[in-house]
Amino acid sequence: MERQDLINKLTTIFQTTFEDNSIVLTDELTANDVDNWDSLTHMILISTIEKEFDIKFKLKDLNKMKNVGALIAIISSKIN
Amino acid sequence: MVFTSLNFLLFFPAVIVLFYITPIKYRWLTLLIASYFFYLNIEPVFGLLTALITLSTYYFTRQIDNTKSEDKKRKFMYINVIIVLLPLFFFKYFTAINDGVFNFLEAYDIRWVLPKITFLLPVGISFYTFMAIGYTIDVYNEEIEAEKNIGIVALFISFFPLILSGPIERANNMIPQFKSELRLNPKNFAIGLKLMLWGYFMKLVVADRIAIYIDTVYANLAQHNGDTIIFTSLIYPIQVYADLGGYSLIAIGVSKILGLDVMPNFNRPFFATSMAEFWRRWHMSLITWLTDYVYTPLSFSFRKYKVQGIVIALMITFIISGIWHGATINFVIWGVLQGIFLSIEAILNKRRTKIESTYKLKSNFAYVTFFIILTYVLFSISQVFGRAVTFEDSVLVFEKAIFERGPLFLDKTTLAYSLIGVIMLLLSDFRDEYFSGKLLLFDNKYFPIRLLSYLFVSLLILWIGILNGGQFIYFKF
Repeated sequence: MERQDLINKLTTIFQTTFEDNSIVLTDELTANDVDNWDSLTHMILISTIEKEFDIKFKLKDLNKMKNVGALIAIISSKIN
Repeated sequence: MVFTSLNFLLFFPAVIVLFYITPIKYRWLTLLIASYFFYLNIEPVFGLLTALITLSTYYFTRQIDNTKSEDKKRKFMYINVIIVLLPLFFFKYFTAINDGVFNFLEAYDIRWVLPKITFLLPVGISFYTFMAIGYTIDVYNEEIEAEKNIGIVALFISFFPLILSGPIERANNMIPQFKSELRLNPKNFAIGLKLMLWGYFMKLVVADRIAIYIDTVYANLAQHNGDTIIFTSLIYPIQVYADLGGYSLIAIGVSKILGLDVMPNFNRPFFATSMAEFWRRWHMSLITWLTDYVYTPLSFSFRKYKVQGIVIALMITFIISGIWHGATINFVIWGVLQGIFLSIEAILNKRRTKIESTYKLKSNFAYVTFFIILTYVLFSISQVFGRAVTFEDSVLVFEKAIFERGPLFLDKTTLAYSLIGVIMLLLSDFRDEYFSGKLLLFDNKYFPIRLLSYLFVSLLILWIGILNGGQFIYFKF
């Protein structure tokens, strides 16, 4: 999957999870920048990503997701 | 040695002098020696515990780093977490289990002569145990490399400003600082002293004064009426905030003077508009610790159950937090209540944000005030189970609060003095919350105003502070 396709798909997931169609994903984006992105919604986001991309994260991966850039890197390493 | 003791006021300047005359390269060693002196001074045998936890943590974190096998890494991590937890379990729950067995047998008329031993809980054990566990898991998760110098690990676990009640620091913040060139500088000195001064104010003027009233009422619940008990329960959170918050500021200030940045523990908790926000502002070092090492792994393993999974993870996390506070039914209820409040919020959260943004409620004064008060009251209700000693007492509190009216018990001197402190504390928090950077006193740009504020607060501490005071609330955890 091309990086741009991945970002598009991920953007839809973010917009649905946080119910905000104005969210634009950048590499530097973190939970602090998005309303409602807290430790509770984070896990819903994670399980939705797993389902949509048909991948499985490890607990260790979670700790490395410091921002959206890191999240994209982890997803691409799993699907490619 | 307690921060509020005369001994500490002699000890700390001595540490600063020793620190200053030590070559920069060995300043961590001065801190390590000072920390062990500080802790052994309370009870020499406690030093064995910190030493044991240090040795085990050092050995197993190095093993984790040295092996390539994922299985072995995990095994080493678990072994150390168990070893480190053993003393905490033993000291915290031995008495409870022993009493439980004793009472159980007695209920069936079996009089077994069990040794009824009560152990003194080594002060601070929870805090350094949690720090050691956090460090071990961080090494396992490759967040940080295992430290090769055992002295630095020993310092991380025993660092005297934090050892008794936190903040529960993280290795990736402290270890690099301990290894850096530690210097004294006038700016840090000023910042640190200001934090300490305000911390002493919170503890001695607010917490210990208001405690006199609260302790009187809670010690004689049967003699007091419902209105008095409601009032007392409503001011109790202020005591806990001033006590642990004051302690934390002193700890952070002491560290700052030595050139070390320690994480904040409170962020004006009483201005939170939801329980979730409250828990992001209250005892932050504990709650982030629980989030990272208990809640996240749990909710991760329950993630396929979506919201239900999160609710279960929240409940378990807060029940663990409750049982950590004490092995009593009261603390279990306390934890369950927090779990229920947060779960309800988690379920309603999306709807609430939607309504808030549609009607622009976040800037609506009445709306914000209502939720600030609601959050405070809910927390106060849960804290009844934290303050009342027995379950029967907590039931009595609610019974009286609902059914018994009467005049307020007025201990005028205590309440008047408390009021001065509480108003100053809440006004200061109010300013920082809504007028950040304005109306500064300790940080005013004019020196005379700064000087007058330091003098005023210092005099207030000497005038109405409780100087022969007792312990900090969190020493018993």
